[in-house]
Amino acid sequence: MLDIHEFVLRMRLAQDVIEAWVAEGWLRPQRSDQGLAFTEMDISRAQLIRDLREDLGVNEEGIAIILDLIDQMHGLRKTLRELCEAVGIQPADLQQRILADMRSRRPIPMKGPEAP
Amino acid sequence: MNEDPYSVLGVKKDASQDDIQKAYRKLAKKLHPDLNPGNKKAEEQFKAVSAAYDLLSEPEKRARFDRGEIDASGQERPRQRYYRDFAGGAAGHHPYTSSEGFSDFSDEGDLFSSLFGRGGRMNLKMRGQDVHYRLPIAFLEAVNGTTRRVTLSDGSPVDVAVPPGARDGQVLRLAGKGGAGIGGGPPGDAFIEIIINPHPLFTRKGDDIYLELPVSLTEAVLGGKISVPTPTGTVSMNVPKGSNTGTVLRLRGKGVPRSNGTRGDQYVKLRVVLPDKPDPDLEKFVQSWAAGKAHDPRRGMEA
Repeated sequence: MLDIHEFVLRMRLAQDVIEAWVAEGWLRPQRSDQGLAFTEMDISRAQLIRDLREDLGVNEEGIAIILDLIDQMHGLRKTLRELCEAVGIQPADLQQRILADMRSRRPIPMKGPEAP
Repeated sequence: MNEDPYSVLGVKKDASQDDIQKAYRKLAKKLHPDLNPGNKKAEEQFKAVSAAYDLLSEPEKRARFDRGEIDASGQERPRQRYYRDFAGGAAGHHPYTSSEGFSDFSDEGDLFSSLFGRGGRMNLKMRGQDVHYRLPIAFLEAVNGTTRRVTLSDGSPVDVAVPPGARDGQVLRLAGKGGAGIGGGPPGDAFIEIIINPHPLFTRKGDDIYLELPVSLTEAVLGGKISVPTPTGTVSMNVPKGSNTGTVLRLRGKGVPRSNGTRGDQYVKLRVVLPDKPDPDLEKFVQSWAAGKAHDPRRGMEA
């Protein structure tokens, strides 16, 4: 755990910038009696925000949208992985039935020239 | 990293600082590992692009590289772990956990929301799955209603009451006849889709029944009472004098029962048929029938 001063040093960013990101909800450190407490995960997330802002030229609104979509994507990926693992331990014939059912839900591609 | 940083970024040697930044941003947006959590190759490519940009983004370093004073190696930024390594790791709940990506899945049934919803993994109590069946029934069974004993997927028999006037594709719900609940949860429902097989005589449009009915020449010319099959049995119908092929007669209230107690109608379309074998008397009569020779049913059809 890092307090805000250690976090500022690690990130080489101004303290008020970090505080603004916390206020926006982009960073969600734990709050204790001694103040904010940051994890390694918070560091990597702050580095992502810095990448988006400085290297990729994303503005404030864009960062909020991207973070929200990334959080959703990780939630979906986690759930999908859990689902795959749960299916993976089922009997082989059940797995085959699930795969066949999933395939049957996909639309059959139409043949012919592509629309312009 | 020994590749030429200009070719890594896809810019010319004399590109402006602005062009170099644009080229880098374009590639970085595509390759940043946190924007590609499932793509391992993106990280390698991103490293190469970042290293090239590190070198070329500072005019001083770039000039030294151009003069050959430094080479392209050793410029990789020591990169920390990416956010995806934490967010995508096996760790359970963290402050950035989001289930918004499938929060609407709960509309489709409770399976997803109870399995994966916020905090849903603790002492899992889950409603059983809904089970879907298709039940083919005869045309008249659908019109008049029926009770069918079917065997569910768990082997238990159940009586399905098909209401009179059931429509093709109508879904009947048998509450609690689906999969068993988990952890004391209630069972799911069974949904039974009605498939109506066609009838050799009758067709159906909405609540009305259509029937094509052959009548003899005598019945068509002179009129009279004839018997007509309907879904509820044979009824007697009056054919008016001078009826023709294509004449449609309506039997009010002989159609499909509606839920409000009334019924649709049956429409009977007449088709005049001659006797199976040529009849000498009929021929003799038509020979002597002068008006028949003057009658031209194809008048106005000349193309």
